[in-house]
Amino acid sequence: MLDHVSDTLDFHALNAMLNLYDAEGRIRFDADRMAARQYFLRHVNQNTVFFHSLDEKLDYLVDEGYYEAEVLAAYPRAFLHRIWDAAFAKKFRFPTFLGAFKYYTSYTLRTRDGKRFLERYEDRVVMCALTLARGDEALAMAFMEEILSGRFQPATPTFLNAGKKSRGELISCFLLRMEDNMESIGRSINSALQLSRRGGGVALMLTNIREHGAPIKGIENQSSGVIPIMKLLEDSFSYANQLGARQGAGAVYLNAHHPDILRFLDTKRENADEKIRIKTLSLGVVIPDVTFELARRNAEMYLFSPHDVEKVYGVPFSEISVTEKYAEMVADKRIAKKKIGARAFFQTLAEIQFESGYPYIMFEDTVNRANPVAGRITMSNLCSEILQVNEASTYKEDLSYAHLGTDISCNLGSLNIAKTMDGADLGATVERAVRALTAVSEMSAIDSVPSVRRGNDESHAIGLGQMNLHGYLARERVHYGSPEGVEFTSVYFAAVAFHAIRASCALARETGERFRGFEQSSYASGGFFDKYTDRDWLPQSGTVAQLFAGIALPGRTDWAALKAEVMAHGLYNRNLQAVPPTGSISYINNSTSSIHPIVSKIEIRKEGRIGRVYYPAPFMTNDNLEYYRDAYEVGPEALIETYAAATEHVDQGLSLTLFFPAEATTRDINRAQILAWRKGIKTLYYVRLRQTALEGTEVEGCVSCTL
Amino acid sequence: MTKDHAGRIAVPRAINWNRLQDDKDLEVWNRLTVNFWLPEKVPLSNDVQSWATLSAAEQQLTIRVFTGLTLLDTIQNAVGAPAMMPDALTPHEEAVLTNIAFMEAVHARSYSSIFSTLCSTREVDEAFRWSEENPQLQAKARAVLETYAPGADPLKRKVASVFLESFLFYSGFYLPMYWSSRAKLTNTADLIRLIIRDEAVHGYYIGYKFQRALERQDAARRAELKEYTFSLLFELYEIEAKYTEALYDDLGLTEEVKSFLHYNANKALQNLGFEALFPAEACEVNPAILAALSPDSENHDFFSGSGSSYVIGRAVATEDADWDF
Repeated sequence: MLDHVSDTLDFHALNAMLNLYDAEGRIRFDADRMAARQYFLRHVNQNTVFFHSLDEKLDYLVDEGYYEAEVLAAYPRAFLHRIWDAAFAKKFRFPTFLGAFKYYTSYTLRTRDGKRFLERYEDRVVMCALTLARGDEALAMAFMEEILSGRFQPATPTFLNAGKKSRGELISCFLLRMEDNMESIGRSINSALQLSRRGGGVALMLTNIREHGAPIKGIENQSSGVIPIMKLLEDSFSYANQLGARQGAGAVYLNAHHPDILRFLDTKRENADEKIRIKTLSLGVVIPDVTFELARRNAEMYLFSPHDVEKVYGVPFSEISVTEKYAEMVADKRIAKKKIGARAFFQTLAEIQFESGYPYIMFEDTVNRANPVAGRITMSNLCSEILQVNEASTYKEDLSYAHLGTDISCNLGSLNIAKTMDGADLGATVERAVRALTAVSEMSAIDSVPSVRRGNDESHAIGLGQMNLHGYLARERVHYGSPEGVEFTSVYFAAVAFHAIRASCALARETGERFRGFEQSSYASGGFFDKYTDRDWLPQSGTVAQLFAGIALPGRTDWAALKAEVMAHGLYNRNLQAVPPTGSISYINNSTSSIHPIVSKIEIRKEGRIGRVYYPAPFMTNDNLEYYRDAYEVGPEALIETYAAATEHVDQGLSLTLFFPAEATTRDINRAQILAWRKGIKTLYYVRLRQTALEGTEVEGCVSCTL
Repeated sequence: MTKDHAGRIAVPRAINWNRLQDDKDLEVWNRLTVNFWLPEKVPLSNDVQSWATLSAAEQQLTIRVFTGLTLLDTIQNAVGAPAMMPDALTPHEEAVLTNIAFMEAVHARSYSSIFSTLCSTREVDEAFRWSEENPQLQAKARAVLETYAPGADPLKRKVASVFLESFLFYSGFYLPMYWSSRAKLTNTADLIRLIIRDEAVHGYYIGYKFQRALERQDAARRAELKEYTFSLLFELYEIEAKYTEALYDDLGLTEEVKSFLHYNANKALQNLGFEALFPAEACEVNPAILAALSPDSENHDFFSGSGSSYVIGRAVATEDADWDF
């Protein structure tokens, strides 16, 4: 029947059939496979530039300025033939239409007029491997194996740009401080433009900016607060995009005890005035423990003027632990303050999340307690998984640096849990991933923002993520969020942490370098390792032991040996793990996003460049549907349990989205937030809602509409 | 003004939402208020680049389609919903109709937001002129308006209203759904999907009220109304078919749009409680369009759009037990 259909329908229509049940109520996976095939036959193959040989192709791409000559020149030609042959011998095929479509619309190299493709998937993978291995043949071959097999997937900026002559940066994401003076504000906006142009999301911390109505030079009622700065940033991000390849995107973080907090949240209200409405800038709120404590007592919460706090304590507001100094600041007459109901604050937060999905939340004290590195974490990033320390810069009148502080950048990449488990050498896969991410850090030098450059040079921070947890569990017939699912997550993440630390220690030994501040970290003191040497993090149940059969897992003696190694040689990377939300790359890699449950059996994906496309959950068939309960069915408790098990072993953060049916109330959201905070979750990302169609108005036979 | 028997102005009774004659009123009221939105929430300017990739003819078609939709929303806002208010059986129904009227104004306003973001004033003025002169557009407006006239049959008014909400809009809705399935004007499509979400509820609700009223009519009257419904649909369909050909022939989409019209005509009849007119083979809508209609559970990328699944939530205060840690 489908053969007849495929003659009359184009690949978009075939792909959309995924979302419509067939006459027997089954999902039409075959239509999607047909869509992928049609896409190649009718579009990709017809629009790909043909070369007679690899030599002809490489010479052309270098001569025409498409490929970076230096990348290829680091290897002998014979090796290039070997690696390309090995890659094509693997006969890679995209299992879904969205995977192929996303790759060819957003990643592959095209002719300058944008009309014809110059690369196939294998070419992109090999160029990525060659770029990151920097002349080391064995390493290049290993990177190619990891990426093409799907075990390791570099983040979009790396995978998209590596090896191309005209390209953006390889780094995913940047975090900038903004201090309470015009030099810092101006410089930050410039940095936002520069970084946005080169790719990657940019987050800025506004906590230190004086509030609306605060005095300037002693004259009352002069400051306009954070909103106008947000407007400037929003426009900056829409102006600067990477040659149109990726939309500029930014986030701003504000402490819950900043006096502008309610104005800040109101920018996302449905009925916000156009002058203050923020459409595309993302918001995040930093919440300390004391706010929860005040809400528990149903007390008022005080908001403190950052300007006064800085005058009193001699350091910016962000450097103060609000929890620690709360009583002291309330009692201090020199600090201007106002108050709002703590529970009303949480309710407002949830109302805005209903209307817009924002803000993200960072639990400030949880994050700082879990931070193994000296210094204070004051903000997160656009995807709420980067948690690193930073240091303020000060400026001279001509905007040059009086003191060059540090800002944060992060190189991301994720392991596909299913493929990594299939590969059976977890340690090797993690180590190669750590080396690939470290290469990105070493190859990056963001000179346009010296504080970012200094931060990267001194820390070599990386963020190894994970994806396809739900896909893997479902394939193995384990329910997401079940006790076995949570147990697997805990054991897996503990093993990843072990190997990531081991790899970073090996790098420190090889280079003789360790990250700046290692000596003050709990890695150096050994305190970090206590929880791994006091007990084992190994499978308890038969089910989970079975999943790990044939995979070597670290026990407490291994951890004790690692502890001694690290204390002796140090670590090369200050930060190792961060679990990003993985949008695009999980489609290409045929994974479920991050360690989230799926959002729907057939996901409707909408993006600016690809429009609306339908994506079937990995490994799903009409026979194992019961293991594909979606995030709304799984519910917040099981999701938080799963994340808590992973958070235990991740030095930075994990993007955690909460999912609710539209019938939920703000109280339901608040309860989930309280639970997350109690369980030691570090950050919360979006709140997503699903509204089911009013009975009688639904589209009949639609997969994503039925529960 | 209605007068009471003593010749004084009749004062309506204060509306009590805790005494419902029909639970459906509250259910729909809640749904409509939760779904409240304004066009400013959609970042339409992200479509500017995409707009530039359309050919001049495609741009003109798109603007024309939207002016046609603007006209229908204007009618429903200014005439249709207010005309149905005196027919309301419960005060709650009246309240729902005021909400419908207001949202229709928001819809009409939305098209102007699209215009001011994407096109030049000259192009827009030209399209509005076109809509005033287009015979089919004027004919369908007139056919509906006749039933809205004072003194017209209240149930026939509902029939026409359901056809407007559930059938006449769709020749226009087809185009933004078609663009978005080709990754064009995706934010505009988001906005249209919000409108579709509303119109689906409006058509359903008015149809529901029609069915309740129909139950109380005698057999002869029921037969008359059914006869009327189908003859009005034939009349409107003929106009719609011509309108569709005039708009979509050049793009070669006419046949596909017609299947979509059949599908929605059946949907409108279903809302009114009547059997389908078009056989299933005639309603085979392109799956890409059909699947594009469902706004719920879409997993959008927040950085390039705002999605169409956010709603105004129900605020409920937390209690001490929630904070027990």
